[in-house]
This record gives sequence, structure tokens and C-alpha cells, in this order.
Amino acid sequence: MSIPIKPVFVDEKLREVQESGRLAYRSHALPTWCPGCGYFAIVEGLTHACNAMNLPRDQTAVVSGIGCSSRFPFFVDLYGFHTLHGRALPVATGIKTANDRLTVIAVGGDGDGFAIGGGHIAHAAKRNVDITYLLFDNGIYGLTKGQTSPTSAVGLRTSTSPFDNPERPLNPLLMLLSYGVSWLGQAYAGRPDHLRGMIADAIAHRGFSYLHILSPCVTFDKTSRTYVNLGLQVREIPEGHDPTDLMAAMRLAQDTDQPALGLFYHQKRPTLGDTFDEIAARARAKTAPATD
Amino acid sequence: MNAAASPPPRHHVIIGNGVAGNQAAELLRDRDPASRVTILTHSRLLFYNRYLLPGIFQDMANWPELLAHPPEHYAARRIHVRRECRVSAVDPRNRLVKLAHNETIPYDTLLVATGGRGHLPEELAEYRPLFHHFGSYEAAMATRRALPERGAVVMLGGDMIGLDLARTLLAIECRVILVTHETTFWPHALTPEERTNALATLVAMGIEVIDGDARGGVAAVEPGAPGLPARRVVFHNGADLYGDVVMPCFGLTPMVEFMVGTGIDIERGVLVSPQLRTSDPHIFAAGDVCQIWSEEEHAYRFYYGYRNVRAMGEVAAINMTGGQEAFATNRVESLGHDAQGRIDSSFWVYDE
Amino acid sequence: MTTMSKTDIQIAICGSAGDGTIAAGDILRNAVAAAGYRVIGFDVYPPEIRGFGKCISRLRISTDQSYSLKRHSDVLLSLDDSQALPHAGEVRDMGAVIFESQPIAPCQEGEHMSARVLPGQIPYAFSMRELSQQATGGGRARNLVALGIIAGLLGLTPDPFRAIIARKFGKQGPEIVARSLAGFQAGFDGATRTFKLDDVFFSPPGQADTAQRVIMLSGNAAVARGCLDAELDTFFGYPITPATSIMERLAAELPKHGRRLLQTEDEIAAIAATIGAGYAGARAATATSGPGLALMSEMLGLATITETPCVVFVSQRGGPSTGMPTKTEQSDLNAALYGSPGDACRIVIAPTNVEGCYRCAGKAFEMAERYQTPVIVLLDLYLSNRYETVTLDESDHAFVLDANKPLPRLEPGETYRRYALTEDGVSPRAVPGDAGHMHVITGLEHNELGRPDDSETMHAAMSRKRHDKLQAALRHPEFAVTRRFGATGRVKVGLLAWGSTFGECLEAMFMAQAQNIPCAALKVVMLSPFPVREVASFMDDCDQVLVPEINHEGQFAQLVQGTLARPVTRLSRVPGSPMPVELILNEIRRLAQG
Repeated sequence: MSIPIKPVFVDEKLREVQESGRLAYRSHALPTWCPGCGYFAIVEGLTHACNAMNLPRDQTAVVSGIGCSSRFPFFVDLYGFHTLHGRALPVATGIKTANDRLTVIAVGGDGDGFAIGGGHIAHAAKRNVDITYLLFDNGIYGLTKGQTSPTSAVGLRTSTSPFDNPERPLNPLLMLLSYGVSWLGQAYAGRPDHLRGMIADAIAHRGFSYLHILSPCVTFDKTSRTYVNLGLQVREIPEGHDPTDLMAAMRLAQDTDQPALGLFYHQKRPTLGDTFDEIAARARAKTAPATD
Repeated sequence: MNAAASPPPRHHVIIGNGVAGNQAAELLRDRDPASRVTILTHSRLLFYNRYLLPGIFQDMANWPELLAHPPEHYAARRIHVRRECRVSAVDPRNRLVKLAHNETIPYDTLLVATGGRGHLPEELAEYRPLFHHFGSYEAAMATRRALPERGAVVMLGGDMIGLDLARTLLAIECRVILVTHETTFWPHALTPEERTNALATLVAMGIEVIDGDARGGVAAVEPGAPGLPARRVVFHNGADLYGDVVMPCFGLTPMVEFMVGTGIDIERGVLVSPQLRTSDPHIFAAGDVCQIWSEEEHAYRFYYGYRNVRAMGEVAAINMTGGQEAFATNRVESLGHDAQGRIDSSFWVYDE
Repeated sequence: MTTMSKTDIQIAICGSAGDGTIAAGDILRNAVAAAGYRVIGFDVYPPEIRGFGKCISRLRISTDQSYSLKRHSDVLLSLDDSQALPHAGEVRDMGAVIFESQPIAPCQEGEHMSARVLPGQIPYAFSMRELSQQATGGGRARNLVALGIIAGLLGLTPDPFRAIIARKFGKQGPEIVARSLAGFQAGFDGATRTFKLDDVFFSPPGQADTAQRVIMLSGNAAVARGCLDAELDTFFGYPITPATSIMERLAAELPKHGRRLLQTEDEIAAIAATIGAGYAGARAATATSGPGLALMSEMLGLATITETPCVVFVSQRGGPSTGMPTKTEQSDLNAALYGSPGDACRIVIAPTNVEGCYRCAGKAFEMAERYQTPVIVLLDLYLSNRYETVTLDESDHAFVLDANKPLPRLEPGETYRRYALTEDGVSPRAVPGDAGHMHVITGLEHNELGRPDDSETMHAAMSRKRHDKLQAALRHPEFAVTRRFGATGRVKVGLLAWGSTFGECLEAMFMAQAQNIPCAALKVVMLSPFPVREVASFMDDCDQVLVPEINHEGQFAQLVQGTLARPVTRLSRVPGSPMPVELILNEIRRLAQG
């Protein structure tokens, strides 16, 4: 995570981008996000990852809910479904159930995922449906112009918490670990190179992968989760962390003052698709005729 | 009007669904309009006329034709007929009737009118399944089904109930073979001379009369052999005879088993005063089940026949509702013959 | 409607939960169906699984298919008098009331069935407990003894019973089968030894060759079968009475065909996944009841605006809110028609009998795919749970399985227009995996490409497209959106009805015709889009129009009046049970006189 010292020239950069091939994954639509939004890095990261993995565009679907981050599908040239607030995961589960060959990526924000859609995460994780969930956590509702979210810090003043947010934020990483997620990582929009690698790893994982992406909201949060503050807080995952050790991952997840970036935990276990196939095999093995 | 002001209606419970019980029920309804009247019977049928039962061997095979009243009658008269109810015990102390299915019915007055069942001498009891009966519509129908056209009917004993049927059987050209016994002509008490004359009348009618005593009495009843009628009757002297049906006609035994243990006086039947009161002030008895004190004879005696039984039902109902009437009969119990030379009995008198 | 030689017998078996009442009814209806009779049956059971709730299994057995239960049963069998006492009165004169002669518990006067048998009825006391004890060494086969009694008393041949008992208990091993058969036999022998006094007699069933193709299904089983025959790929559901058995059946059957069923965390997830699967090109469905439909309403709007095929089976129960989960009602019509914000048009169809459940299930997928729309199939508890013999022509591929419009080839550089405005309003649909047709669908109003566009012209054009394309469903191939029964031409009274209540309407209409009242009945299967022409032309023929339905508000009557601006007479009742045929008949007579 070095800060580039070398000056960047626009024409050189454009050529590099074009030659990389990742533009193919971008749509013609211009993102509607505010200038400086961390989500730009995420869309860049995904196209990088897709390109690096050489994912066929017509075999990939991006599913989102509602919110700033959920506009995401419009900005990539993949199959996309911009669904309802909070419902990206069950829709993505339906898509994957219908067609195992598709790479399915769900994206959404902290409000979409942990407030209105909070009931779905546990079940996606426990079923180990083979999709990737990129959660953009900026700790605020942006699309409705700045209200507290489930991950807002205590004391954050917003339009719906004029006397400061009294509630403790959720700990998404700890939740996901207890739900039985089979791949858990954390990244930061301010470290795009690391982010793109994490996205690729998350997609490559067979099973439900959850990537928590910390991001500032440059418009509605000028005090809490700024680039400056986040930049100071985040740290590399400690050396020697064993990503197959659930307890170690849980301990790491409890350190919310200094969020660690990297792979927290992963586990190999049958996906939802695997269990469907197994059930089908068992059902077919049963030769008993149907009774009405 | 509050609840305390109106005591619950009196409950008159009648055990038995025959002539006596139903006659009593009708009168109780009239004399005590506010009361509840319940008839308990093990029968599946509403009250039907046993005196019409021989008719099913002719053209009256459909039981609704036998019914004394249409079903609507009971709703209109508020007489609750409880069919398929077997009384297992009576508890006079608490005034309760207990039914075999574990139901308890409280009564204010109880009328025992269960009548009698066909008597079967003990030595023949083991052959019960092989006998054909005539005690109920269902039994009579089963007998009718077992009897082929112009078949042979063996009547053991030959009480007046059986002889009533015999008249019908002869009319449909069946053979009737009567095996005499001390109960022949029951309940008529005949002198030897009267008995000889009566037997002669039977023979004249076409009944084959066999002297049971001369053969040492019936030893066994067996299924018939192939090619022969369905039953074989074997006598103690080794003689035998065949019949399609064999009917025990040894008179009636009062049905009083459920009264045993109540403390009520029972001899063969329930003992009652001329007012038809038992030894319990709330319990009455009427019909073939009771023996009535006769001042003349200084004994308890049975009174049979439709008219007697019907009169007992009336007397019981009157006395159950505060009356003090005594049962009296001036009816002559006579056995004779009609204009056609057929046997006739005062017990067979039946007025619609 | 039935002649003397035809069978028309209704049997009710009543007991407490745990007496095996429903199981006995199940064996009985299957046995008589196997013997070649037509059956319609309906079970009533308590909301509690354990305990002392009332269970009644009623079935009407006839030579020709009947359309509703009769008010009077011919036979009532009580497995528990404490539950069955109030039902003694439903038996007709000369019908049989069968009850236990050796109940375990002592009872007060009047608490035994013998106290309730009316003078015109025939009582039969059987010691079912004792017969079960003697035959099987335990009292648990009492319900099978009861079945034996029914078969013996009514003169039914025991072979189909034996076959079905053997099949039903086969999984529990030969010992249980033998014990169950012994229990049945004990009852059968007991009854054949009993002198029959009632006049309930079976006439020989119809022709044997039709019997072979006749099967016994509940409404929900017929839905499941329709789904299977329509080659349903994926099903997502959340358990809810009375729809659960659709999911249960499919859970057993779909995997045999390599297809998938997922029990989701709630109804929102169920419909979301259904729409997701539909978007991905799978044939997808879910099933629920009113409360679940309420949770699905936002998602149904998404399916409407994204033009994604999906099928939702809704089995109504008493409402609002949790309402009466084990009682039937037709009060979710408005929720099905309108239950989404915005102009969220959809197709709503409602079968009127079990056979219709099968057809509507299959046809719903055809329509969902052809018109790219959510389709709600509206059932109710009565229809879901009732059993009927149905004739399914197995050789007939009843459903047109690929109703999608073909995708046009894209010219180089041409962008796929998911929502191309076409003459019939239906746009060729690409699904993930189709090369070169990448696109994004959204719950936002959009243009032909699927990109967000809230301009006045685009919203108007897209609203029109979404509504107009559904009109074609009114002429959907081999699907009768309405059907008229009874007299042709002008009639005094016309019955206009939908859903399960139509069966009662039909019976009432036949009875009215027998009383020389000129009347007809129109069953309305498609409720959205509304078959204006057919209903209007029927109403043209009627002096009076009667709309019987099981809800308080007269929701269907409102729909008719609101759409056609013509008066109807409402017969709205909420008994929690089917509409009594006599009630409809009385109303017909009243209208015919007026």
C-alpha cells in the first residue's frame, strides 16, 4: 500500500486502462455517485477482478438492492438486476438456484444489508449459496440524504439523529462469522489495489463469500468515517493470522477501533448447489413410486 | 322469573320400549306436561308392534310399516327415545340409571318395563347360536331369511308366541313341527284334558305334533348334514328330526338382571303392588317384567297379553304422577278355537 | 340431479385430534375412488396439532361428480362423542349414526351420542375399542375398525380398502399392515353381522374404464401435479396454512426430476428468489396464504415493472391479519388484484374445483412466460384441502411449455432492448447466459433498454405496455376465462361466482332448476384482467344477478359493479366454512319471486 510518488499522465493512464481490457466490463453509464465517493474504487475493483479472472460477461450477474451502492449494476456491462431495498440476497439466491453456471455477485450498502435486509444475510451464509456479497459500508444512508445506518458510530449527528446517534453500531464481521459464512474478508475503498485482489479472491471462493468494504461518505459524513480517519484506523491483518481459525477470526473482528484488512476466515464446505444435487441424487435413488 | 323460582322439570325415565313403556310414556306426557320423559331401550328401532311381527313372514318385510308411530311423533310429544342404550345398573339411593356405555341418567320416577326374553332351558343354552329367534324384528328377519320357501320349522316347546307365528307359517305353506314340552301353550295354564284337546286342534290345523317327553326331551341341536335341512334335533332316546329352522318357544323370562343389587324385591319378575309400585317409592314396574300382588290368589303373578300390558302402562303412569289406581283385570285367560277351527287365545287379542 | 339408481352418499367421520379421523377419511375416499365412484371431500381440523380439537372428514360419494358437499350427511361416524354430538343433526332421516358403545370415560346424561340420535335416524352402537383390542391388541386401530364398519354396513367391497391400507401403512412394516388390516376386518365382520336398518345403499359405480383414469387429489395436490407437469424448475416457499402442503409435495417430487426447492427465511425471500429464478430463465413459483401475500406485495410490483415471469399460489384463509388460519374465506381477492403500490397489474386466476387447480397451475406458467408477468393463482382453504376425484388425461401434454418469444439476432453494435415497445406489448426476453444480450433490469421506471427513465412519455408508454399486453390473456389458448352453466338464453336469476364457492352455486342452481326457476351460473376463472365482455353478456341475459362469496365486503361483487357499473345482489357470508347450498337456493328463490 504505497502512495505513488511518480506523477501520473492522463494519456498514459488511458492507454493502460484500455489495453488492460477491463473497460469491456464497464457500461456506458456514468456513475451517479458524488465526486470523491469511495464506491468509484469498488466499481474499478470489480472490473479489474472480472478482467483478471476473465469472467464471461454474459455468464455473470450483479444483483443489488436500493441505495447509493445499489446503483452499481448500471455501471458494469454484465447481466444486472437492480431489485428492492434489502432484497439483493434472496434474489441472487434465486438466480443462482436457477442457473449454477452463472457467477452471481450481490452488492449493497450497510442500510440495505443490515437494516431492511438484515434477515436475509444469516440464511445466505448458513446455506452457503455460492455467491459473492460485496457490502459497501459507509455508515450512513446516502441516497435519502444522510440518515443514521446500522453501522453509524455512536454520536453521529444526522438529519434523523439531530441529538446524536445513541445506538451502538452493529459488528457485521462478527455477525457473519457467527452465521457460518464460509469466506470473510475486509477491504477499504481507500486502498484500491488491495480491494481488487480481495474482490477476485471473494469471487473465486466456492460458497458464500462476504467482503466488507469500508468507505467514506464524502457528502453526508464529514466527521466520523472520513478518508483521513479511516486511513488512520485501518491496519493490515496481523501476520500469522490463521484464516481457518474461526475463534481467531472472531477475536480479530472484535477490534473495531483498528479494522484489519484482508482475509479473516475461510472454510470449504458444500454449497447450496451441492446440497441440491445431493438431494436430487437421493430422491432419484428412492425408487418408491409417488403416492397421491 | 329467576332460575331458583323454577325447579328443573321432573324426569320420568322408562326402561323398555314395548307396549307398557310406550303406553306409560304417552300418559306421562299428558299428565305431567312440564316433565321430561325418557325411554331407554337397547333396540335400534322405535316402538313397533310385536303382535304384528308374524306379518314379516308374509308381506310386511319393511320395518317402518311395523312402527307404532312415525318418528315425528316423538319430537311432537317430547318423548325422548334413547335407542342402543343398555341399562347396566340402577342406583335407587341416588336415583340414577347407569348405562353400559358409562352414562349416568338421573330420574325422579323410574318405570321398569323391560318385558321378557325368550326362555331357554339351561340344558339347551349351549346350542343358542344354532337356534332361530323371534324376539325382535331383527331376529325374526334373520329367521325368515334362514327359512326356505315351504321349509320346515321345528318349534321346541310351543308357547303362545310361537303358536301365533305357527298360524302364519302354515298360511305360507311351511311345515310346522311342534315338540311338546311343559311350556307348550305357555302362558296358559291348562288341565291335562284341555291340553289334550288343544294339541288335537293343532294337529287338525296341520301342525305335526311330536311328544317331546316320550323321546326323553331334546338332547342336542346340530347343524344339518349336506343335502338335508340346516338343523338336526336329537332326542335323548336317540330319535332325531330335521328342520330348516329350530325355534325355542319356551315362554318368557323377565329381564331384570340390571335390577339385581338394587335392594328391590324380585322373585322371577319385579314384585309390585297392585299400584305397580316396587319396594322403592320412586320405582314402578309394568308389563311382562313384573309380578303383581293378587289379593285373590295371595301371590304375585304375571299377567300377559296386549290388553293387560297396556293397562299396566296406564296404571303406572297415573301412579307415577300422583295417582292411586290399582291394576285390575277381569279378562278371562282362555284358549279355544276360532270359526275356522284354528287355535285362538285371549293373549292374541290386539286392538289397534 | 341424481336418479334413483345413482349413488349419492355423504359420510362424515368426526373425532378428536389423535383419533385418526382424517386418516380414516383419507383411506375411505381413496377406496371408494378406486372402486370407481366420484368423490368430493373436505376435512376440518383444529389449529392445534396436539390436544382435543375437533376433526371432521366429510366426503360425498357419487356416480357422477358432485360439486359441493351436501347439507345432510347419510352417515355420521363418531370416534369421539364430545366432538361429534353437535353433528348428529346433520344426518338425514333413515341415515346411520354410528358411535362407540364402550367409551373409556364416564359421562353425564346427554353426553353420549345415543342421546342425540334423532327419532328418524338409525343408531348403531359398536364397541370399536373392544373390536380394536381383540383384533390388534390395542385401541389404536379404532379408526380402521370404524372404516370396516362403514364398509360392512354400506356393503362396500373390502378389497380396495385392504389395498389402500396396505399401501398407506406399508412404510411402517408388515406388522403394522397386518394389524391395521385385522382392525379393518374386525369392523367389517362386526358390521356384516349387524342387521342393517338404514337405507343408505351404494349402487354399482360407473364404467370401469373411466375409473382407471380417475385419481383422487386435494386442491393442493392438484396444484403440485400441475406444477410438475408444467416442468416447474424451482420452487421457493415459506410454510403457512393452508398452502404448506403444496410445498411439501413438491419437496418430495421436484428432486426426483433434478429440480430444486428451497425453504426460505420468509415470504419476502420466497418471492424474491422466485423472481430471481424467473429472471434467470427458470420456471419458478411460490405458494402462500394471505399474510404471506401481504409480505410479497412489494416484490410482486417488482415483477410487474421488470416484466419477470413468476407464479404465486395463494390459498386464502380467514382474515384480516392472522385471522382464522384453519378456516376458509375468499377475502384476499382485493389483495391479489391490487395488493401492490402503483399500477401493479398482474394476472389473477382462480380455479373453482380440484381439476381446475391442476389446469390453472399449469396454465399459470404459460401465461407468466408468454405475457412476462406475475400470475397469482387464487385458491382457498376449502379448495386446497378438499378432495375430488379428477380425470387427468395423462397422455395429453396439457401445457405449452415454451411460450417465450424468440430472441431476435442483434446487429453488430446494436444494443439489446429488453423492453422494446412492440405491438402486443411483449418484448423478446433474454436471460443471463444469453450471449451478447447483457442488460440490467430495475424496479425503477425505465426505457426500452431497461435504463432508468422517469420522463412523462416513457412512464406513460411503459404503463400502457404493461397493462395492454395482459389483455391477450383473456384469449389465452385453451383456457376458459369464464364458463356458463345452466339454462341458455334469458334467465330469471344468474349466479356470478368465483373460486371454491362456485361448486355450491352450481348445486344450488341445479336445485333451483329442479324447482322450475330459470337460472344460469357463470364461473369467472380469470379475475385480472377482468373478462368484461363475457360477464357483461351473461348479465345481459339475467333479470337478477346474485354474487355469493365467502367474505364480508363482497369483494368480487365490488369488482363486478366497479368494472361494469351494473347492480348485483350480494350474498356475502363469513362462516369460516363453505357457503351452505340452501342459503344460495333461498336467495335464488327470493330473487326469482321478486
